[in-house]
Amino acid sequence: MNLKKIVVIGAGTMGSGIAQWFSQQKCSVELVDNSEEQLLKALQSIHISWDKLLEKKKLSLEEVTTMKESLVPKRLEHVSKDADLVIEAIIENLEIKKNLFKKLDHYFSAHTILSSNTSSFPIELMASAVTHERKKRFVGLHFFNPATIMKLVEVIKPKDADEQLCHDLYQWFDSKDKKPALCKDSPGFIVNRVARNFYGEPLRIVENDNESKMKEVDHILREIGGFKMGPFELMDLIGIDVNYSVTCSVWEAYQQEPRFAPHALQKQMVEEKRLGRKVKRGFYKYD
Amino acid sequence: MTNISFDNILLNFGFGTKEEKKKVLRENPDKKIFMDLTCYDPSEFYSEFPQLRGTFAALFCDELKKIEIHFVEKNQVVLNKLVELGFSPIETSIVSCGFIFPRTIVQIINEAYFALEEGVAKKEDINRAMKFGVNYPKGPFEWSEGKEIYVLTLLQELYSKTQDKRYIPSSLLK
Repeated sequence: MNLKKIVVIGAGTMGSGIAQWFSQQKCSVELVDNSEEQLLKALQSIHISWDKLLEKKKLSLEEVTTMKESLVPKRLEHVSKDADLVIEAIIENLEIKKNLFKKLDHYFSAHTILSSNTSSFPIELMASAVTHERKKRFVGLHFFNPATIMKLVEVIKPKDADEQLCHDLYQWFDSKDKKPALCKDSPGFIVNRVARNFYGEPLRIVENDNESKMKEVDHILREIGGFKMGPFELMDLIGIDVNYSVTCSVWEAYQQEPRFAPHALQKQMVEEKRLGRKVKRGFYKYD
Repeated sequence: MTNISFDNILLNFGFGTKEEKKKVLRENPDKKIFMDLTCYDPSEFYSEFPQLRGTFAALFCDELKKIEIHFVEKNQVVLNKLVELGFSPIETSIVSCGFIFPRTIVQIINEAYFALEEGVAKKEDINRAMKFGVNYPKGPFEWSEGKEIYVLTLLQELYSKTQDKRYIPSSLLK
């Protein structure tokens, strides 16, 4: 497999990070967004990031020039129809995604691989919007934020996707600067599922809103567990509302399986708008 | 299990059934005992055995040998002895079944086993995903390698104590 022409749809945090990473792999990248303002903002931010890498001598002038030329903002109706891979990274709304994929299926050539960066929806539901033939070339590619730094890409295989195609994608990412993990199309894929108890269990250890116990748990898990951040400080950074929403989504997707049940304190904090660092009040105070 | 005695102190290390652990305590009513209770609830033991003056969790420690320790009353001699034995004890005031680190990682490990059982991904992909997606220092199966019996025992103990179905172990662990 040789991925040369990439289309990234959605120029938000994830989309622009993904576009930047592919450009850094010497791919030709077309970045698409409904909002021209968002598109230009993303492009500017990527250019600033490359300029900083140039200043730090991590990239050469030639490399930066080539990457800037290879990353092009486009309107959806003008993107190359013969792209090798399309990655959707738009708003997490299933109906909007399905409508988009229906259009993309008709627009792109038969060899184009369609993929979604969703963390919320089964890939299968989005693939239901495309033709039987395209389903074989429809996968999930779940990147982690920031996409240029985090090594993991979950390569998600829905039941109709071609097995060899998923294997080839795995090999391609493995040959680049990524650490791919192949997984089945199931709620939370690997990371958002297995990581749930890094938050859920410490909440049950401290039992209630007790800051000194939380500090102790964070300390022990950093010092003994070797985690870079403890669960409470990490939840504050992620956002209590964001973490609670992912927990609820996985819990609902697994028919309210007790292993994924949210803790009452998470709900209470969301209701009290104690959402973490972004509002200077979460499990801890940030004054 | 290994016992180390000095002065009037007995340090009990290693894995044992709850009954085996209690037997050590019954046989040593006059000593100050400090015991590895990684897979059990220290509060149950404290209430039954006043000679138990501290508990620790060493079964999941790695090559750095950092361990959680809880004292009924702080004992510097015991801390010094643990350091002499190569451990780096970190004190905790929280008394919880399975302590903090073991209890948290057995739940992460159990979920990884459930994902494996359901065919979501292979062991190496799950390890890789957790290390490179959320920067875990080890993959769940790297943590559990050779320690599956401790994982299972702690999950069963947590379930027995709470009756909460979140602690039911994956059948692959049994």
